[in-house]
Amino acid sequence: MKAQEIAYRFSLLVCGHADDADDAMQEALLKTYRHAGQIKEPAAFRTWLYRTVKNACLISRRKRVDEPARLQSLDDVSMTPDGSVQRIDVEDPGRRPDQVMENTRLRRSLHRALQTLPPESRLIVFLREVEGLSTREVAAVVGISEANVKTRLHRARLSLRQHLEAP
Amino acid sequence: MRTPASDRCRSLLEQLSKYLDDELPPAQRRSLSAHLRRCPCCQTMADSLKHTVETCRKAGTTRLPADVRVRARARIATLLASGPVGSPRT
Repeated sequence: MKAQEIAYRFSLLVCGHADDADDAMQEALLKTYRHAGQIKEPAAFRTWLYRTVKNACLISRRKRVDEPARLQSLDDVSMTPDGSVQRIDVEDPGRRPDQVMENTRLRRSLHRALQTLPPESRLIVFLREVEGLSTREVAAVVGISEANVKTRLHRARLSLRQHLEAP
Repeated sequence: MRTPASDRCRSLLEQLSKYLDDELPPAQRRSLSAHLRRCPCCQTMADSLKHTVETCRKAGTTRLPADVRVRARARIATLLASGPVGSPRT
């Protein structure tokens, strides 16, 4: 289900916490199953879904307010039901090994760079660049003006560039 | 990496994202394109920023691990079976 993958990527990259990602994804998908049929326009559904995941992610984070913030790489591990860990399988099996390695390297670098951004800028970059939402959609999800989205996106890109280019 | 040094370069740097997103008015776009052809430093900066954006977009292909998918669906099925259906809100 596409919505599930979106929710997972969003939770993991924006929340940066695998447990939060699981909780947030389940909460968001539950709301999706219950309410999606009542949303008639596909464009409205997209915005609604991302807003729902964002809120679920924030709620999940608040529940863990006593825990120190932890970062979870997409390439590291995921938790299994019995509490053990396993490597997250995020690669397309159709890709060549050298492509897989390069993509893994890029994703790790990007993940590190994203974590240096303020949370709202990280959210904007994720929605606009990773998920490909329009500026208008990002503004609707985040709750700021389109002009503000563009300004913050530009600053975030410059910051990310510095981190990605750093040796 | 060299960074744009002149005031003109710094001013154009502010427009680079709009340039990459094809959001500049035609006259400004032409002006910036002309500057990039003349200024290797700004051209390098533009290429680097473009590469950054492309790197972000590649991350959008992340796949959902099978175990996470199964676990989430099982949990949702349980919750749906036990909870009432409310009105749409976030």
